Amino acid sequence: MTTVDAYIGSVLAQLPRSTPLREQIALELQGLIGERVEKGQPLAEVLANLGDPAALAESYLLAVPLVSAPLERRVLAKLVDAALVLGAVAVPSVVTGFLLAPESRGGLVVAAMLAAGFGFLAYTIGFEYVRGQTPGKELLGIRVVRESGAAIGLGQAFVRQLPILLSIFFIDVFFAPFTERKQRAFELLSKTRVVRA
Amino acid sequence: MEKDGERAEGRKGIERELKRGSLELIVLHLLAPGEAYGYEIVSKLTEETGGSLEVTDGTLYPVLYRLERAGFVSVRWETPQRGVPRKYYRLTAEGRAELAALTQEWTTFAKAMAKLLRPAREGK
Repeated sequence: MTTVDAYIGSVLAQLPRSTPLREQIALELQGLIGERVEKGQPLAEVLANLGDPAALAESYLLAVPLVSAPLERRVLAKLVDAALVLGAVAVPSVVTGFLLAPESRGGLVVAAMLAAGFGFLAYTIGFEYVRGQTPGKELLGIRVVRESGAAIGLGQAFVRQLPILLSIFFIDVFFAPFTERKQRAFELLSKTRVVRA
Repeated sequence: MEKDGERAEGRKGIERELKRGSLELIVLHLLAPGEAYGYEIVSKLTEETGGSLEVTDGTLYPVLYRLERAGFVSVRWETPQRGVPRKYYRLTAEGRAELAALTQEWTTFAKAMAKLLRPAREGK
């Protein structure tokens, strides 16, 4: 991988997949860098002139307006995701339950509940970090972004789920109807928001 | 000494703000004669202003993207014999209207500022 690819890669990493003309942006930057280098300008100078990749991505994103996701869609998306994770845990658990002796089924219930809880956390953090939306959010046409519109980082994806770990989810959610951008308390904290896809 | 530094910093801020506010007008104006691709637009700006109005690539390209999204320019890709494809920009009818409106606004503002800032007449 060349320095140019690395630079363009870090610009693209900040642009959510749904950004209009995302590939064209990459191609155009590539053309510009190529042309400047061909004209004899040092690559380091060309890249300095383009600036910090994250800042460049954010300037592009200024052209893409963000609309807060309606809260009912967020609730529905959460229900879809919960059903998916519960189903994924429940089916193998029930099958295992039939194979086990009745006296060891108690432990299985505890194990299944833990798997569902932590599985749901890992599922949400993983999908939101890698794809900007969980399957439930995708179905409901909403996605998670930084307040600038850029793709969120792993730390942000984690902080968004902290209220569940800390068992303060209901207090956290209570903020959403009253904040300007319909953010939960931990969304304000992680500087992320949920918008229409 | 420190105060001087702060003032110089403030003046730079004004320059940055002025530039940011007029970038779209600058790009629309440079596209008025006909279509051009990004690199050409930057070169033309340096040429026409004798280098006194420099805009970095990192500032210009997102403006082109905004103009495209707003429908003020249309685009066309062309692949030269060798090298990477180029994205050519051309003003649309809406773009021309926007250019006229922005030019009008800018001229009115510049005139008003010049009137305000002209050296005080004697005896006043």
